[in-house]
Amino acid sequence: MDAPQAGPAAGGLAGRFELHRAELLRFLGARCGNPAEAEDLLQELWIKASGQPGGPIANGRAYLFRMANNLVLDQARARQRAMQRDRAWLETEGHGTEGEGAAVEDRPDPAPRADEEIARRQEARLLEQAIAALPPGAQRALRLHRLEGYGQAEVAQIMGISRSGVEKHIAVAMRHLRNSLADCGWFAAAASEDGAGARGDGPRRDERS
Amino acid sequence: MNGDENAILVEAAAWHAASGRDDMDWDGFTAWLEANPRHRTAYDEVALTDAVLEEHREPLRLAAEAADAPAPRDEPAPLRPIEAANDGEAAPATVFSGWKRWAGGAIAASLVAVLAVPQLFQPAPVVYETHDTAQAVALTDGSTVMLAPHSRLTVAGRAQDRMALAGGAWFDIRHDPARPLAITAGGVEISDIGTKFDVQTGDAGVRVKVADGEVKVSADALAGPIRLSRGRSLLFDGADGTALVTSVTADSIGEWRSGRLSYVSMPLALVAADLSRYAGVKVTMADELRGRQFSGTLVIGDGEAALRDLSQVLGLALDRDSGGYRLRQR
Repeated sequence: MDAPQAGPAAGGLAGRFELHRAELLRFLGARCGNPAEAEDLLQELWIKASGQPGGPIANGRAYLFRMANNLVLDQARARQRAMQRDRAWLETEGHGTEGEGAAVEDRPDPAPRADEEIARRQEARLLEQAIAALPPGAQRALRLHRLEGYGQAEVAQIMGISRSGVEKHIAVAMRHLRNSLADCGWFAAAASEDGAGARGDGPRRDERS
Repeated sequence: MNGDENAILVEAAAWHAASGRDDMDWDGFTAWLEANPRHRTAYDEVALTDAVLEEHREPLRLAAEAADAPAPRDEPAPLRPIEAANDGEAAPATVFSGWKRWAGGAIAASLVAVLAVPQLFQPAPVVYETHDTAQAVALTDGSTVMLAPHSRLTVAGRAQDRMALAGGAWFDIRHDPARPLAITAGGVEISDIGTKFDVQTGDAGVRVKVADGEVKVSADALAGPIRLSRGRSLLFDGADGTALVTSVTADSIGEWRSGRLSYVSMPLALVAADLSRYAGVKVTMADELRGRQFSGTLVIGDGEAALRDLSQVLGLALDRDSGGYRLRQR
């Protein structure tokens, strides 16, 4: 990839980016499992990093890795959402209740908004129940950290436990919630990603030169 | 689920929970991901779980609070400064016993839908409302907001990270990448803030002008977020869902604080809205004049004089109206 070089004026994050470019690329490759995609994401990361205001950033390397990690996650989330829409559409077609007789290409959007809204509410309900069923420590740590927005160090203070104790609670909570979603087939669409791609109707990365 | 899969999930969740740390072991994480492709899938699932949780954060928070309503109201221990946070294994368990009681109540009550918000942790939103004079609002992190006359600012969230503005305000916000501050104003959301900028909302749209740094502006009506950097101005029209980005002199942004209003090709309807907010003069006009553009500077100490200047520059007639003034074609 002929990535742009950071000019002399590019300080801060962009400069840090150059310093850590190789390890960021390696991380992105490991994280998304696709070397070509990793190159694309590295370029995207460069654009984001050089667009940041040049304020002082305490730990540039960790910040860049977090940004990289988030880019992969955003992509996975977008892909998963598209899968869910495809699936909701197939289910709707299967019931024959909506869009009957309409050719696929006549439909403005494969997922009617009402379906999405229902799916969203089901998702929220499922999470609500899963949170209520969490072990007490994990539940409280999760609520403080992910719902109330306290930092992990603050949660440690409030709960009177160590920071790594909070991390363990959060990890337990995430694993439980993941299992609840998996039990409902929430990841099924994501798992069939390769098949969808082969059919040619999966989401595609936009091709960049 | 087999034991192997569960073990991988345990590891994935641990990596995910640690990923926010400044001393996260990114090399170790990379090596873990490379060791087995199933590690990546497991991590994706955990991270996606967290992402979907974040998307439903507000309703889930409210549902949890509602479920807690009948529980005893234990207040959390007062927060000590973050620097005092203990990263070691043993920390004093000062409030833990209190929590156990509270958790029991919460779980027992979780099946009861009670619409009462006990505000256990989340401070109530603070509303600042101005009348004829501007008011400075100081946030705990050292950021400041100068709230324009006849405006309203709501500050919510324990980290004061959610704000809503109706009217005008000058924001001088400390840059903190760890705090995702968001301001909603007349149909747009302003985020990724680390900067000085001015926001004006009104019937005719929302204006965002960046005097320093950068912000991101999003709206449902827009195809995607718009990044604004220093010296850029965005005019968002909620009625037709359009956004116009132009350049402005950075020094002129927020000038209302020193009694001046400067415009470049600004629709007259917006100038009139500003005059009523900042100069206390009500002015109406025929519809065909609303889009007429004005460029120039108005001094707002004397509202009537400012209005006379405006009408003269544009070659319009100014009449006294019942409630104020009216601009019309000569």
